[in-house]
Amino acid sequence: MSSAISVRHLTKDFRIGIRGLKLRAVDDLSLEIPRGQVYGLLGPNGCGKSTTLKIVLGLVSATAGDITILGQPFATSAARRRTGFLPEAPYFHKFLTGRELVRYCAQLSGVTADSVGAAVEEALGLAAMTEAADRPIGTYSKGMLQRIGFAQAVVHDPELVILDEPTAGVDPVGSAAIGRMIHAMRDKGKTIVLCSHLLGQVEQVCDRVAIMDRGKLVLEGAVEDVLARRDRHVMTIESMTPAARAAAEAALEAHGAKVTSVTHPRRSLEDLFRELVTGSRDA
Amino acid sequence: MKASLQRILWISKVTFLEAVRQRFFAFLLVLSAAMVLSSVSFRVFDFGHGELKFIADFGFGGMFFFGSVLAVVMTAQLFFSEMDNKTALTLLAKPLSRAEFLLGKFCGAWAVLAVFVVVLASLLGLVLWAREAELIALAEQSGKIPATFSAGGLAEFVLLQWLRLGVITGIVLAISALARTFLFAVVVGSLAVVAGQLQWIAQDAVLKPSDSVLYEGFLWVSCRLIPNLQQFNIGDALVLGSAAVAPGAVVEVVLSGLFYVVAYLILGSLIFRRREI
Amino acid sequence: MRRIAPWLFAFVAFAGAGIFAETSWRSVRPSIPEIGRKDLEPTLGQGVLLGVLGGLRTVVADLTWIRSYVLWERKDRGGCEALMRAACALDPYSRYFWEHTGYVVGYDLAHWEIRRRGGYGKVPAEIQERLFKSYATRGIDIFEEGLARSKVTTPLLLSAAQLAEIKLKDHKLAARYYQKAAEAPDAPWYAARICAQVMWDDGRQLEAYRWFRQYWTTRMLPKQDGFPDDLRQLRMMETNLRLRSQDRIPRPAWEQ
Repeated sequence: MSSAISVRHLTKDFRIGIRGLKLRAVDDLSLEIPRGQVYGLLGPNGCGKSTTLKIVLGLVSATAGDITILGQPFATSAARRRTGFLPEAPYFHKFLTGRELVRYCAQLSGVTADSVGAAVEEALGLAAMTEAADRPIGTYSKGMLQRIGFAQAVVHDPELVILDEPTAGVDPVGSAAIGRMIHAMRDKGKTIVLCSHLLGQVEQVCDRVAIMDRGKLVLEGAVEDVLARRDRHVMTIESMTPAARAAAEAALEAHGAKVTSVTHPRRSLEDLFRELVTGSRDA
Repeated sequence: MKASLQRILWISKVTFLEAVRQRFFAFLLVLSAAMVLSSVSFRVFDFGHGELKFIADFGFGGMFFFGSVLAVVMTAQLFFSEMDNKTALTLLAKPLSRAEFLLGKFCGAWAVLAVFVVVLASLLGLVLWAREAELIALAEQSGKIPATFSAGGLAEFVLLQWLRLGVITGIVLAISALARTFLFAVVVGSLAVVAGQLQWIAQDAVLKPSDSVLYEGFLWVSCRLIPNLQQFNIGDALVLGSAAVAPGAVVEVVLSGLFYVVAYLILGSLIFRRREI
Repeated sequence: MRRIAPWLFAFVAFAGAGIFAETSWRSVRPSIPEIGRKDLEPTLGQGVLLGVLGGLRTVVADLTWIRSYVLWERKDRGGCEALMRAACALDPYSRYFWEHTGYVVGYDLAHWEIRRRGGYGKVPAEIQERLFKSYATRGIDIFEEGLARSKVTTPLLLSAAQLAEIKLKDHKLAARYYQKAAEAPDAPWYAARICAQVMWDDGRQLEAYRWFRQYWTTRMLPKQDGFPDDLRQLRMMETNLRLRSQDRIPRPAWEQ
C-alpha cells in the first residue's frame, strides 16, 4: 500500500525583495509518511515545516520535487477530497455558528446533501462541540476554535488529516482532549500529520516523528526508537532503604554496571495540573 | 459541473452574508438614500432643468458614486479579509478550485450590489412618482405639458447600473488577485474606475480614421482592456426620454458588459491560480 | 495547449467585449450629448470632472452656473462665457442656461468689451456698432443651439427674436423668430401681435396683415374674449392699407 504522503526531493525557494534574492525554505526534503499513524513534523520556527505542509496541500507551489498523497498526484481536487486540514491559529467567519461552519465545509468538501446532516453531527461529536454548536463562532474561546476547526477538518471523513499547531495557545486540558481526538482518528485507520514545536505534546501523541531544521530533514523515525537511550536503564524502586541501596549498587558493580545517579522520580507539571483540574470551562 | 456550481453558490452565500453585515454597506446605503430623498428639498437650487431631471440626476449620481465606492472597497475587503485572516487557507485546502473561490466571491459581492441598486432605485422611483403626480396636477391647472418619467426605463437603467458595478467588481477582483495589500487594490481599483469613465475619449477616437498604425494599435488594445463605463450612462434618455435610445442599444451595452465581466473573471482566475497563499 | 487555453479564452473574451463596446457606443453616443462637448474642455480642471465622471451633472451644471455669475459680476468676459457655455454643455436640455447665456453674450459682452477698450467716449461709434452686432450674432447662435437641444423652445424663440430686433435691427430675422414662437402650441398671447408689428416695420405690410388676420381668426377669436386688443391692431392695419369694407374682418358682435 502506498504511503499517505510521499515527498521526494522537495525544494522551495522564496524570492525576497526587489533584487529577488532567494530564500530556501525547504531544501531537498524526502520523507515517507505511512498510513494509519500519527506522524509528527517538528522543528523550530522557520524550519520549513509549515511550508512543506502548504506545498502538500497545493497552497504554495514547489520549486522542485514531487509529492503524492494517498497514491495520487498532490494539489488535485481528488487528493484534497481525501484530505482534511486544520491551519495554524484558525480563524473562521464570526457570524456563522459552529454547526453552520462545519456544514459549509462539508458541502465544499463534497459531502452529499442526504448525508451532510449526519456527517456534521458526527464531526461535532468527535470534537466535543455538540453543545456549543449553535453559538456564533465569535463567542468561542481559543480551545473551542481549535476543536471546531478540527470538526471542519474531519467532517468529510478524510483518510489523511493534517493539523498545523493544533494545540498552540490551548490549555493542558484542551490539549489532552485534542490528543484523544487524534488517537480516536488513528484508531479508525486515519493518518494524521501533526505539525508542532511543542515537543512534550508531540512525544505523547505521535507514533513517528521527523525533525526539520533550516529546511532540511535531520532525523526521522518511530518516537520510541528516536528517544530511547539503549545504553542506559531506569529502574523505579519503592521503599528502598539505605542498606538496600548499598547492596543493589554493590551487586550491579560486581556485574560491571555503574550507577551514575539516584534520584526521586518527578511528575511533570502537566500531569500534576491534570490531576488537580478535572474539567474544562470550555463546554 | 453541478458540484462546481454548488460550491460557487456556497462561497457566494457566505460572502453575501459577510458583506451585508458590514457597517460600511449600511452606511453607504443610508447615505445614498438620504441623497435621493434630499433631492426634493434641493430643488430650490434648480435652474429650470426640469424638476424630475434634477431628482433623477441626484439618484443616478448617488447610485453610481456610492455604488462604485462600495464595489471597489467592499470587493477588495471581502477578498483580503479571507487572505489576511487565513480563512482562504482553510477553504482552498478543500476540493475547491481557485476559479470557484473567485467566482463565488464575485457572485456574493454582485448580489450585495444588486440589493444596493434595487433599494436605491425603488426609493428614486417612489420620489419621482410622487413628484410627477404633483407636477401633473400643477400642469393641468396652468395648461402646460407636465414632465413625466418612465418606470420601465428606470428598470432598464437599474439593470445597466448593476451590470456596470459588476464590471467594476470583476476588475477589482482581478486586481486583488495580483495585489499584496488591500490599499493597493482599492487605489488601483479606483483608478480603473476613473479610466473606465474616461475611456469614451478613446472610443470616440476609434470612430475617427487615423494614419498612424501605432496609434490605432494603442487605441485597439485600450478599447479592449478598459471598459467604457460611460456607455451605461443613458439614464436621462431611458428614464426621462430626453433623447432617443436606438433599438437594440441596451442589448449591445448589456452584452459588452457581460463580456467584460467574463473576461476579467477569467483573467483574475489565471492570476489567482499562481498566487501563493 | 492546456496551459495556453485559459489565456486564449481571456483574449477572446476581451476581444468580444471590445467589439460589442464599439458597436454599443455608436448606438448610445447620441443619447449622451453632454459627453465630449468642446465647451467643457476649458473647465475640466475646475471640478467639472467629478461631476461628469460620477453623474450629478445637473448639480455640477448648477454650481458652474453660480460660479459664472461671480465672473459676471467681475465682468470677466472670457471666463463668464466659458463657464456659461460649460453649464449649457453639462445640461444641454435646460432651456434656462441657453436663454441666459444668449442674453449675457448678446447684450452684455459688447458693453464690457467697449469698456475694456476705453469706454463709449473713446471707442468710435462704428466700432461700437460692429461689436453690438458681432455679439448679438453670437447670442443668436447660442439660442439656435439651445433650440436644437432643449425641448422647451418658445422662450428661446422669443429671446432670439428680441435680440435680432433690438441689437441686430434685423426685422426680417426677428419676424421669422416671432412667427415661429407665435405658431408654437404654447405661444404667449402677445407673440402674434409683435410678429405682425415687426413684419409691418420690415415693409411687408400686406403680408403682415394677412398672416395676423389668419392667426387671429383661427387661434384667437374662438378663445376667451376674442382678444379685442389684437382686433384693434388689425383694424389699424386695415385702415393703413385702405382696405375696402368687404375685404376687412367681419365685425364680431362684441366689437365696439
